[in-house]
Amino acid sequence: MIERIALATLAVLSMLGIWLAPWAAVARQTGARSAVILLPGRFIDFTGRTDPLLIPGLTVVMILCLIALLVILLASFLKEKWRTLGWLLAGVVLLVTTVTSLNTVQQKVRQAKLDIVQTLIKEELAAPGNRTDVTALSDVLARTSERSIELSILEARQAGFTIRRLAYDNPGSGLAAFLTFITGLLASFFGLGFFSKIKTFLNRIVRVIAVPAVSIMLSLIVAAVVILLLQPTGIGGDFVISSPFVRLVGRLEILWRAYLTLFSDSLGTLSGFAESLKFATPLILTGLAVAFGFQAGLFNIGAPGQMVLGAVFAMLAGLYMPGPRFVVVPVAILSAALGGGLWGAIPGWLKARFGANEVINTILLNYVAASILLFSLSSSLAFASAALRILQFLGILALIIVILGLIPPLRLRVAKAPRLVFAVIGVIALVGMVVVGLPRSGDGTVVLNMPFKAPGSEPKSYPLQETAHMAQLPALLGVAGEGEAVVILNLALVWALLAFGVALWLLPKLIARLKNRWQNLAASALVAAAVYALAAILGQAQVETLLSPTKLNTSFIIAILAAICVYYFLWRTKWGYELRAVGVSPKAAEYGGANIARNTILTMTISGALAGLTACHYVLGGALEEYSLRQALPTNDGFDGIAVALLGGNTPLGVVLAAFLFGVLKNGGTILNVTFTGLTRDVVSMILALVVLFIAARGFLPEAITNPLKRKLASDPKPTGEDS
Amino acid sequence: MDTIVLLTLIGSALRATTPLLLAALGGLFSERAGVVNIALEGIILFGGLAAAISVQQMEVRLLAANPNANLAYLPWLGLIFAAIIGGFVGWIHAVISIRYKADQIISATAINLMAIGMPALILTGLYQNTTTSQPIQHRLPLWGVSGFQLSPLVYFAFLLVPVVYFVVFKTPFGLRLRAVGEHPEAADSVGINVRRMRYYGVIISGVLAGLAGAFLSIGNLNQYVANMSGGRGFIALAALIFGKWHPVGVLGATLLFGAFQAAATLLGGSNLLPPTIVESIPFILTMLVLAGFIGRAVAPKAVGKPFDK
Repeated sequence: MIERIALATLAVLSMLGIWLAPWAAVARQTGARSAVILLPGRFIDFTGRTDPLLIPGLTVVMILCLIALLVILLASFLKEKWRTLGWLLAGVVLLVTTVTSLNTVQQKVRQAKLDIVQTLIKEELAAPGNRTDVTALSDVLARTSERSIELSILEARQAGFTIRRLAYDNPGSGLAAFLTFITGLLASFFGLGFFSKIKTFLNRIVRVIAVPAVSIMLSLIVAAVVILLLQPTGIGGDFVISSPFVRLVGRLEILWRAYLTLFSDSLGTLSGFAESLKFATPLILTGLAVAFGFQAGLFNIGAPGQMVLGAVFAMLAGLYMPGPRFVVVPVAILSAALGGGLWGAIPGWLKARFGANEVINTILLNYVAASILLFSLSSSLAFASAALRILQFLGILALIIVILGLIPPLRLRVAKAPRLVFAVIGVIALVGMVVVGLPRSGDGTVVLNMPFKAPGSEPKSYPLQETAHMAQLPALLGVAGEGEAVVILNLALVWALLAFGVALWLLPKLIARLKNRWQNLAASALVAAAVYALAAILGQAQVETLLSPTKLNTSFIIAILAAICVYYFLWRTKWGYELRAVGVSPKAAEYGGANIARNTILTMTISGALAGLTACHYVLGGALEEYSLRQALPTNDGFDGIAVALLGGNTPLGVVLAAFLFGVLKNGGTILNVTFTGLTRDVVSMILALVVLFIAARGFLPEAITNPLKRKLASDPKPTGEDS
Repeated sequence: MDTIVLLTLIGSALRATTPLLLAALGGLFSERAGVVNIALEGIILFGGLAAAISVQQMEVRLLAANPNANLAYLPWLGLIFAAIIGGFVGWIHAVISIRYKADQIISATAINLMAIGMPALILTGLYQNTTTSQPIQHRLPLWGVSGFQLSPLVYFAFLLVPVVYFVVFKTPFGLRLRAVGEHPEAADSVGINVRRMRYYGVIISGVLAGLAGAFLSIGNLNQYVANMSGGRGFIALAALIFGKWHPVGVLGATLLFGAFQAAATLLGGSNLLPPTIVESIPFILTMLVLAGFIGRAVAPKAVGKPFDK
């Protein structure tokens, strides 16, 4: 039922969109100015200086889309068989039409740009400047038509001729095209239910992604209001908004462009993709940390603090650990995990031993950790010598207590009368503090500097040793790290690998005969080979593209490995099973023989270690501009990890996907800052908060989305039960 | 010690205590009703933002109309706005966690996340600046004798302690509130509207936290500064636990924390101890309290659990 309402609404919206919203933009300039095309061939130029482009066939596109949308709308009211068939056919028509039409627009715009570039180069060649390398430039001119325009411009610059401004910047799809595309996609998706084998499978996918998808959608709708309020329609030249219709088109274009900006750079260019993976790396780790806690029924808000301790430990190892690279790097990584793990173990132990709530304790420890970071990186810490003596005394006392605590018979004694022992220790501590704190002759101010603190007022440590640096991924893959580089990408291989994965998972579900693992592998390999061949024919085996310098480093691989380890530990070992059992029902698990206290400490330690591993990225990987510990450590990633874990449904795969989505959004946010005058990257943090809010409040969604199984069970006894 | 220095120290300790006390008393209402309110942190920010912006906007308009107008009432209007916005954000937390039975900590975390991005966007929209609002000319007045002047909110916060004690422990409303937080099923069976009482508790906590924010933005300063709460919401929550969910205990705990903060600020200039160490002492102290080393803290029994009829 829910999909019928959704598709019917989408179809109506798309029809409205085709009439009112831009279909595509031929130019999008900074300052939120665009020149857009509406179906069937209307042209509105907000930039005030873009010449109209003639795009053929738009009337046909409009008629085809309207017919298909009408079919989808009508089919929503038909019986299941006809409904799915109608959806499938109309959906495919919509997809093909939209893609072809947008492709045509792209081709036309490219042709127009190419013409301009070629004319410019020809003019330059006719009257070359004194820095221009004529032979190289004529070489570039000869190859312009077969390469991407950005590459040609880059090569022309290398040949000494700079092309500064081009008309028709950043062409792309419009809101109307997107709406029809999504409608087509969903219609064909649900239309696949026409084949009964796929139907159960579809239901399963819908059940998993319904809540996150709806939450993201709702947050984007709320964010739309904010975007429209903050960003006025950009106008250039002598353009005037003459009618309410033009105003509406302008508003819709702004809205769509803001969302497109959030996603297009990360998903459309290699540089953006690498950047979003860079943003995703720490989020994967903190997301895993929170998710791991959730699985065991514990809420770890302490990831920010654990990040700090991990970073401090990693920095120490990276500065002082002697030895070759293959020893230092692993040791530094392990010490990052150790630091975070210790900081996580404290609230775990307090909960296991004294029943203290881990939520409030982790929050408190965040502040203590922030103080530690501040303390260890500030310059010239001034102590009175008496105060320093007191601190030394407390430190020695704590050490003695810990050592005595390791002796089992003593521990047993303490366990019998804990209050008394603590009172005695307290008295000893107080008396000792007074005694050592008494003024002595020669007391003065002692100024300390942490040995690892770099000189100067800037709060950062010395740069790490060369041997502790983790490799940057582009350099590791043989792509030059300095400046922009041209990379030849084998996209066909990527597609083939993706197809292999999907086939491996999907084929046994579709074809009953493929139960045998080897047959399945062989069939999937066949599918992958076919995809590779197809992609290679389409020219995807050698795609030239630009790569800007990025801080994406090997810690991304560590994050992925951590996700795999977490999956293996939680779902493939008996400890993980016990942990999850405690998470579902502590009492039942305890009855079944689980040791709750040990599990609590273990969970918080591992969770903290995962958060501590972010130091690989920020300290060892040099993501903070240089290879050292800086106070600018973005501990907010720890809080974002909560959102990531929630969106990812607390499973490792979900966390990785959610972190990637957030990485895309964060990268988009930085682009948004540049392109729009009224918007900042805070739009992204608001969207993230809204996503969490909506996922938390999933109770207000219809039960058909949140819990289809329960609804089905509940409504079965009375078939006349309410429809959603 | 010099009396003037002592007075300054006491004054700054009281000033540091006030936002903590207001927020913690708010948290008391919420937690006594059985709803954990980690969102205090975010609500303080929203309250401070509402106060600063509303006063600034009204001030500009009124001064443009009549440059010599008497606008002494403006900051009080700002307080009301802060209370309303605080109550509204509290209500959102209440709707999500009571009506839709979401995990109270997750819903509050979402509000705290929101309090990072949303103010920045609003500031961008109004002042093309993500971190501060435009300074105002009319902040809250200072009351007291010369040399010892405090914001009216300071007096209000301390007077609130006996009021809260009376309301929570001596009135039928307070009895119901506590019953709902201890044993909602029993409260429900004698005809108390559990949900409504919880709504009241959370909204009151929002109002008080909003006032705490207003104290920071238009009492202590004359503008909103990004992230100006600096963890006070969480510290207030810790003080609530330290004070064993009792107004007098909360007063003691917040005074202690406030004194530490004032001492840390004072030490910033001297050469006794680095202030970062002093600042982190209250947190460690609270953890020791939570662990039961210094008297056990017993939370309201049903705190954190959604009520399902």
